[in-house]
Amino acid sequence: MRDLDLALKHVPLRAPAPLFERPQPPKGVFTSQRGFMRALGLLAVLLVAVLPFMDASRYTMSIATSALIYVMLCMGLNVVVGYAGLLDLGYIAFFAVGAYVSGIFTTVLGWPMWAALIATIIACITAGIIIGAPTLRLRSDYLAIVTLGFGEIIRITANNLKITGGPSGIHGIPSWSFGPWSFDDGFSLLGIDFPERVVFYYFVALVVIVVGVIGAGRLAKGRLGRAWKAVRDDEDAAEAMGINTYIAKISAYIIGAVWAGMAGQLMATHLSAISPNSFQFLYSALILMAVVLGGMGSTPGVIIGALFVSLAPELLRDFAEWRYLIFGVLLVVVMLFRPSGLWPATAVLPWLRRSRPTPPAFTEATAVPASIMESVDGTPTTDAHEGDRA
Amino acid sequence: MSALLEVRDLRLQFGGVTAVDGLSFEVREGEILAVIGPNGAGKTSAFNCISGFYLPTAGAVVFDGKAIVRAVPELWRRLGLVNLLQSFGLYRVLPSRVTKWGMARTFQNLRLFRELSVLENVTTAMHANLREGFWATLLHTPGYRRAEAACVREARGWLDFVGFEDDEQLYVTQLPYGEQRRVEIARALATSPKLLLLDEPAAGLNFNEKQALMRLIRKIRGLGVAVVLIEHDMGLVMELAERIVVLNYGKEIADGAPEVVKRDPAVIEAYLGVDESEDA
Repeated sequence: MRDLDLALKHVPLRAPAPLFERPQPPKGVFTSQRGFMRALGLLAVLLVAVLPFMDASRYTMSIATSALIYVMLCMGLNVVVGYAGLLDLGYIAFFAVGAYVSGIFTTVLGWPMWAALIATIIACITAGIIIGAPTLRLRSDYLAIVTLGFGEIIRITANNLKITGGPSGIHGIPSWSFGPWSFDDGFSLLGIDFPERVVFYYFVALVVIVVGVIGAGRLAKGRLGRAWKAVRDDEDAAEAMGINTYIAKISAYIIGAVWAGMAGQLMATHLSAISPNSFQFLYSALILMAVVLGGMGSTPGVIIGALFVSLAPELLRDFAEWRYLIFGVLLVVVMLFRPSGLWPATAVLPWLRRSRPTPPAFTEATAVPASIMESVDGTPTTDAHEGDRA
Repeated sequence: MSALLEVRDLRLQFGGVTAVDGLSFEVREGEILAVIGPNGAGKTSAFNCISGFYLPTAGAVVFDGKAIVRAVPELWRRLGLVNLLQSFGLYRVLPSRVTKWGMARTFQNLRLFRELSVLENVTTAMHANLREGFWATLLHTPGYRRAEAACVREARGWLDFVGFEDDEQLYVTQLPYGEQRRVEIARALATSPKLLLLDEPAAGLNFNEKQALMRLIRKIRGLGVAVVLIEHDMGLVMELAERIVVLNYGKEIADGAPEVVKRDPAVIEAYLGVDESEDA
């Protein structure tokens, strides 16, 4: 108990101890939401990790890696849009910053990849502050317009600067290398040859995404995450609860920017070439769509949304010219039938849903006679149960 | 007793409309003060100035020895940059800071976090009292786990204190109105205030719920927290308040004990109007 007291700052007013001990929540895989989600996550990671042993073709690996990069991007945007409720239409700009900074630092300046990674993170934090600070006082529509402008500014700047290679972009971004061995060399595992660097990046992407998903999820559950959600639900009430909404919003931007920057670095090294065409508004819209489609603020939902948006056009390739039409129709249908997303943040597993007891109906027996209304004495008492519903 | 909150010549104008017009009163430590007045008298506007949401045109608000209204240099005023600077949190005290100093408030039209559970609503209000670093949250360090456990225990303590008996995992939108009011008070208490501002806490409550609310407000005062409430229910106000401030058209027209205020001719006039037939 004393341990717990030390975990709080010294405050003049502390809550009286709870009147009764709450039962420990169940922890099993099928008896608790959390246990089930963890098991599901582990299963998903295992499935993804096994994929290269089934099919390590260049095509499959590249599609799968870009799907993973989409997941990372969507997790970052989910922090901004899903948790903090800040509509960002230019999110791809942070992805561009990440990709270009790592590209420029490794090719033009010749830095090793790990140093470029640190530079990427710093650049993304700076970009998050630069876009976040002026938009702090804006809400909804106005915020969307400013972020949209920011996204276009970054793309057009990259298109016109010399250091970014203009419209043709940057080529020959080196791989990660550890001493004499680099990801380009290939390797063989369990009797299967993995000659392509794409397979490495698939695994690197997997690790980064697992860290990114778990990290965003943990932040969302802690003090900062509660502040984000409070700002999303009611900014004034959040402010009244002692949450500095400026700090909450700007931290959401920074986290979103860093997540996107990491995804950008992954893409730059995975493809070894980047160009401004990869950072068009269309992609901002696609990522936002993935988040909304999956369920804002919901980790499993956002992952499903990201996979849907990145894989559906590939799976529909057989339909050639029609595929984007079918994709669009599918989206409309999904949003019609699941307006709050495929897996909403408030979803509870069907077998864990609690039935809510209905409040007692108002009857003559519970009605208060008018005579009592006149003669109520509210003598102060200190009984702990006094605040209870009479 | 010393004054916990001091409001002096508070004036708030929206364009040509003067919502609060030279209001002065003080709140002493641990007392229950009611602010009453006809609709549109400027009660809620005054509350919003005191808690830092509105920036008053003139006047001073001092809470616990700290000024809530800040002076703006004349240069910025001349350049017309006051609003811009203040919107970025300069030359003003943000409501979040006021809350950290120990003033909590509730809202007239329930403003709970609708997509959070009851428990999360209360733990959210613990924001400023919690030691939880960024890395600790990411890595789930033992310190983080302790802080979360302490936070949940504290929140449950407050939920029990206000007499919330329903399921703490429910979303607030699933609760009946009276229970939502309770949660809102628990949430305000979780910020560990010295002064609690309640904006029409009894609005929409039935008789039994009002009785429970009165007991709860006395219990809160029993913790040493001063309570200021805006209320239209005169029965509740007269019974509960130790002192009453009456506003009309943004001006204070009476200040005193309930029995005195009740007989004050200015108050009677404000509420009932002047009997013209008698004057004639």
